[in-house]
Amino acid sequence: MDLFSDLWMGLSVAISPLNLLYLLIGAMVGMIVGIIPGFGPSAGLAILLPVTFGMDPIGAVMMLAAIYYGAMYGGTITSILLNTPGESATVASTFDGYPLAQNGRAGPALVMQAVASFTGGTVGVILITLLAPAFSHVARNFGPPEYFLLALLGMLTLIVMIGENWKLGVLSALVGFALGTVGVDLETGQSRYTFGFAELIGGIHFIPIAIGLFGLGELYFAFHQGLHRIGSGSIAPYDRKKGFWPDLADWADTKFTLVRGSILGFVVGVIPGAGATIASLMAYSFERSFSKRPKNFGKGEMAGLVAPEAANNAASSGAMIPLLTLGIPGSASTAVLLAAFLLWGMRPGPLFMEQNPEFAWGLIASMYLGNMALLALNIFAIPLFVQIIRVPYRILAPIVLVICTLGTFSVSSSMIEVYLMFTAGIVGFFMRLYGFSPAALVLGLVLGPLAEEALRQTLTISRGSFWIFLERNGSIGIIVTTAVLLVVLPLMQRIGRRAGASKQGSVSEAEDAGV
Amino acid sequence: MKLISTLIGTGLRGTGLAAGCVLGLIAGSQALAQDYPSKDLDWTIAFGPGGGNDIMARTLIDIIQKYDLYGQDIRAENRAGGSGAVGWGYVYSKAGSGYDITTTSGSLITTPLQADTPWKASDFVPLALLATDDLAIMVSGNSEWDTIEEFIESAKETPPTLAGTGTVNVDFIVPTLFAEKAGFEFEYVSFNSMADMQTALLSGAVDAMVGNPGEIVGLVESGDMKALIYSGETTPPALGDVPTMDEKGWGVGVSMPRGLILAPDAPQEAVDFWRATVEKIVETPEWEKYIETNLLTENIKYGDDFGIFLKNAQDGFEKVLRAQGAIK
Repeated sequence: MDLFSDLWMGLSVAISPLNLLYLLIGAMVGMIVGIIPGFGPSAGLAILLPVTFGMDPIGAVMMLAAIYYGAMYGGTITSILLNTPGESATVASTFDGYPLAQNGRAGPALVMQAVASFTGGTVGVILITLLAPAFSHVARNFGPPEYFLLALLGMLTLIVMIGENWKLGVLSALVGFALGTVGVDLETGQSRYTFGFAELIGGIHFIPIAIGLFGLGELYFAFHQGLHRIGSGSIAPYDRKKGFWPDLADWADTKFTLVRGSILGFVVGVIPGAGATIASLMAYSFERSFSKRPKNFGKGEMAGLVAPEAANNAASSGAMIPLLTLGIPGSASTAVLLAAFLLWGMRPGPLFMEQNPEFAWGLIASMYLGNMALLALNIFAIPLFVQIIRVPYRILAPIVLVICTLGTFSVSSSMIEVYLMFTAGIVGFFMRLYGFSPAALVLGLVLGPLAEEALRQTLTISRGSFWIFLERNGSIGIIVTTAVLLVVLPLMQRIGRRAGASKQGSVSEAEDAGV
Repeated sequence: MKLISTLIGTGLRGTGLAAGCVLGLIAGSQALAQDYPSKDLDWTIAFGPGGGNDIMARTLIDIIQKYDLYGQDIRAENRAGGSGAVGWGYVYSKAGSGYDITTTSGSLITTPLQADTPWKASDFVPLALLATDDLAIMVSGNSEWDTIEEFIESAKETPPTLAGTGTVNVDFIVPTLFAEKAGFEFEYVSFNSMADMQTALLSGAVDAMVGNPGEIVGLVESGDMKALIYSGETTPPALGDVPTMDEKGWGVGVSMPRGLILAPDAPQEAVDFWRATVEKIVETPEWEKYIETNLLTENIKYGDDFGIFLKNAQDGFEKVLRAQGAIK
């Protein structure tokens, strides 16, 4: 078959000793930039781009791509151990990853995240191999009406994130929406809520806010609880009895989660603009609605970590499809990859894979190898990472503070964003203290502007008519999918719950049925 | 472990810097005879890593270092924030210095129009315009319009929707001036990114869009998009046999300046040095390759000619944006 001969040819290109070395370097660097909060793959890629100028293009792009997906592995490590997402796509991994570590299960959580990342990444590459041409046609049908509906779909995840106190949760999301309106209004070009500060016309970016709310907020809260007075190893005891390797129940609970998360993540990743962050948040909320124990989510449920991890890695693979087949970058990182392609005089587009088969298939083949290398790297390095927990908090805290600051600054070398991050840290502390939902705020800040822009673009195009949502195939497809999810999921959940009702008790049923 | 990772991270970043230092040291020995340059150069990039401005600045620095054109070290810093307000504000604060240089974009003109910045484009010392980013009006490959005449004819009956990036931007100003001259109206749909805009066109949500040739040429080659008219002086061959606005008599005379400026009131010796240096840069094969791969229009204007270009662009932008109500 053509497909296999293409892939074989790609493998033969990728397996040269020098190219393998580049691949390993890329994977290591990716993990490291992933671990440093805020220092995401896009910044890492941009800084390493000049280093690749003298290199052979295939080796260089293999290395750069490995940085990109390697960061998805690394980003989770701090999510689990410090409740500080290493980058935006691993925000969802804090929800259950951190509680798992607090319960003394940091080891299994880290192993499972590596396995989930590997599964997501590998499923993603297999799907690229099979579907790249077909998916490029689907992605072509996404205009503003479809983006608006997707953003609405994303807001369903707010329901999950709002938490127990719904009034405070809704208020948090609304604050997020409000912050999202700051900056130049895309349609009229007028400044909104910038109060004359030129620094604000670019709007408020969600990455410094997320680092501040989650990273610093958590840090201040820990001080508030007096953790700095406690000695070594007492914050989240690393329980040797509970061990390093995941137990059988972990595998049994999450085998379908791995598949669901990977496929969902891939599909969302293919859609330009949606990206790994939204994929991981959606995977988390879908997994919760599939789960027999939704009440356990947020308290250290393994499936709640595995789903977003599989999804963000699969999404980072999926994002390669619009990049290779349309020349459309779906995220900041793939935009830098696109810049790299252009620097080497290669221009991705619908004909790219036909015209540069060695390059395109060499890259795809290298992603299989890269994911294997990352799995091995992760599992070997986990005992080292877990030691972070044993460091006394009074030593760990200043390091986290420095890393958050450096990380925020490195995103776009902007001091304004560092100030925003510190402000968000203080706000995050009080939100934590009084039961608000920082996650809902961040999601509001991400989805609010997306929905607003897409809706206004849609209505400009349709000259004010809402019927446009029923006139386009893509929109109808999304509406039908959403309707199915809204009707079918709770039904399935109820059936599943009924099956497990005898064990679970029925106290929570009435509240959860609406999710 | 965390510390170690951070160190590795900075170490990797350091390799590039170290290479720069070595080059700088070698070059330094040759430059002792001159007064300028006698200090390190502070090169402000007013945007984050990876964007068009950043790539151009780093390409220039690479060329300067490769050919030892600047006798001292060059320190490139991304000072991003507020659409260039932070970086250019920093250079503005260095008035009188000959060692603070920066690359321009369209935002040098548009940001002061939008926000209350203490500086305007005309406050800086213009060194040289190197190239311009020009725009093509594009339609989908399966569109009924094959020529700009057909497009305009149908636009006179029903105004089409036309997509561009941002509102206070050449993407809005160029088609607005063009439509005024060609006598049609359109509905402008503003997008945040090129990617969203391309899919909006391919999905049939908008009728047309404007874009830089570098970003769309792949889709033209594959037949997914057609270019109808080009705003630059000569159409890049990759876009096909497409007329320019000037050829049709609807020239707009506005484009995005990619050039070099120094801090206000920079000394004359610095200006003279950079004029001579730019003359050498634009002759290198690396620079030609940069222009070629990014499909920019080479357009070299030195000193006051560049200053006049900036002033005209500033006035033109302001007039259109005021008329459209985008700025007050």
